[in-house]
Amino acid sequence: MASVTFDHATRVYPGSETPAVDALNLEVADGEFLVLVGPSGCGKSTSLRMLAGLEDVNSGRILIGDRDVTDVQPKDRDIAMVFQNYALYPHMSVADNMGFALKIAGTPKAEIRQRVEEAAKILDLSQYLDRKPKALSGGQRQRVAMGRAIVRSPQVFLMDEPLSNLDAKLRVQTRTQIASLQRRLGVTTVYVTHDQTEALTMGDRIAVLKDGLLQQVGTPREMYDTPKNIFVAGFIGSPAMNLGQFKVADGKANLAETHIPLTREVLDSLTAEDNNEITLGFRPESLDTTTEGDVGAFPVTVDLVEELGSDAFVYGQLANKEAAQAITSGAGESQMIVRVDPRRPPLKGDTVWVKIREGEQHHFSPATGLRLPS
Amino acid sequence: MSAVQTDLRRRRGGRDDLGVTISSHVVLGVWSIIVVLPLVWVFMSAFKSNREIISGSPLSLPSAWGIENFVAAWVDEKLGRALLNTTIVVLCALVLVMLLGAMCAYVLARFDFFGRRAIYYMMLAGLTFPVFLAIVPLFFVLQSIGVLNTLPGLIITYVAFALPFTVFFLFAFFQGLPGEISEAASIDGAGKWRTFFQVMLPMATSGMASVAIFNFLGLWNQYLLPVALNTKRDNWVLSQAVASFVSGAGYQSQYGLLFAGVVITIVPVLVAYIFFQRQLQGSVTQGTNK
Repeated sequence: MASVTFDHATRVYPGSETPAVDALNLEVADGEFLVLVGPSGCGKSTSLRMLAGLEDVNSGRILIGDRDVTDVQPKDRDIAMVFQNYALYPHMSVADNMGFALKIAGTPKAEIRQRVEEAAKILDLSQYLDRKPKALSGGQRQRVAMGRAIVRSPQVFLMDEPLSNLDAKLRVQTRTQIASLQRRLGVTTVYVTHDQTEALTMGDRIAVLKDGLLQQVGTPREMYDTPKNIFVAGFIGSPAMNLGQFKVADGKANLAETHIPLTREVLDSLTAEDNNEITLGFRPESLDTTTEGDVGAFPVTVDLVEELGSDAFVYGQLANKEAAQAITSGAGESQMIVRVDPRRPPLKGDTVWVKIREGEQHHFSPATGLRLPS
Repeated sequence: MSAVQTDLRRRRGGRDDLGVTISSHVVLGVWSIIVVLPLVWVFMSAFKSNREIISGSPLSLPSAWGIENFVAAWVDEKLGRALLNTTIVVLCALVLVMLLGAMCAYVLARFDFFGRRAIYYMMLAGLTFPVFLAIVPLFFVLQSIGVLNTLPGLIITYVAFALPFTVFFLFAFFQGLPGEISEAASIDGAGKWRTFFQVMLPMATSGMASVAIFNFLGLWNQYLLPVALNTKRDNWVLSQAVASFVSGAGYQSQYGLLFAGVVITIVPVLVAYIFFQRQLQGSVTQGTNK
């Protein structure tokens, strides 16, 4: 087992001007489960493949433990990888698939058999050891791919969206299995996904990437409570955070008839480039329904109510049509999401008055996109 | 599965499908008669004497199932020797061309290096090059390396002759194999050679089998190359020996002998075809992904 360090690791694909991964600095502690997350094309898979040795590193270094592996062949890195489409060897039985790496390493046959059987027991694959991959279901194939990684007891597990080919129910189930298996084995793991729910539920820490640049690294709680910039704020959390452009005047953030008081600290940290504007972020659950006339309250027209049993989410927009487009959420333009009491949801077309709960709003500079101190 | 599909189609489709089925069966029936009858004729005639062949009906049963013709062809005309030569030459050439062709196609299909396209297009150009144009240069090349009229000389000529098609066919096949598998192998610790022989090549079995059949048939029936490059009587291959029955028969044609020779020539091909055909069924990559 070992830590993993990306030290200004950069990858520029041939024929491309912009780097796919731009000077990535990231440390994964020994035994940690780190999730790389971001929209497609953000460089998360490339980062993982650089660590695996499947992708060249154009500049910077990658270390596993204290060893610089930047120019080391994949086979000599002592890592195991689970691929998105599993990449099982079709002509080998499940047992041979799982034992292939050990066989190459020259492990005695009896020991291979024993280790494969142990891994198969953990993954509930014992009765399928003699089958070929084509005789397995999707979930079983996924477990074989996991087994192939476990059997080797490598220094680092790499997983590239291993759940994306499973159906929704199996995905949730396997998600918890992988997370608990990783805790049990204690192997350093780097896990790539585009699904932020997977990231929040599985990772010890999450790293968010966008356009090849690392946006923020932190525990799921940190990412959720104190996103460093507008992108992370909008990306982490489901349903997404509402983000609104407000004018700053009289120590308040103003949008049409909405006036939200700002603290001294926030006001002081705004610069000339911000042009007297501020971006406010507030999560659907940070909004309380209230009555007209309350300080900071604003009206929302209900377009749709999504009832999930434990929660109900109102998808709507600011009642003032001209100002409505200033507020967006991950779900779309001119849209605001509000969590409401599932027992008493409003009806479509209603107007509800909501107010941001004290201290639960996030302030961002419109010019830099960065979080402002509050 | 196909049986189920046809069954369903038959049940769903009305008269149109029935019409198609009937007409296609008639066409196929006629076609198979066209193909099978000459074979039967050859087979029957192999047991007959010259007089029976000339005067009797072509498809009539021979008066006696004697094997004199076969013995005479095998021993007197040295067909046994020719069969051995052919087997040696074709098998060696086949093994070599499959090995070299697969390696060449694999590298061209899966590795990026300078001149890769140029090499591929030169291979393709080899496909279009008429063998007649190559005969004379080949003759002198083989002569100057000292392998003219020898079996090794013929083997390397066959390899060169069959390589372009092999590479062309397997190139597409290797390109179609999922790349993650070789990546998985390299992470599992396999070097390039082991990845090729233990992971990629077994996945290409069905493609290899098809190419092997084509090559086997093509090389077994090869006539022009041995006639020009392999003129020593002891080194003759089957096609040369059989042809000599006709051309060398002079005034007294031994038709029975000729037919027996043809049967001896055809049987290994049929056996090889039936054997390889089983390998062709189903794709091996099934079950790799998802």
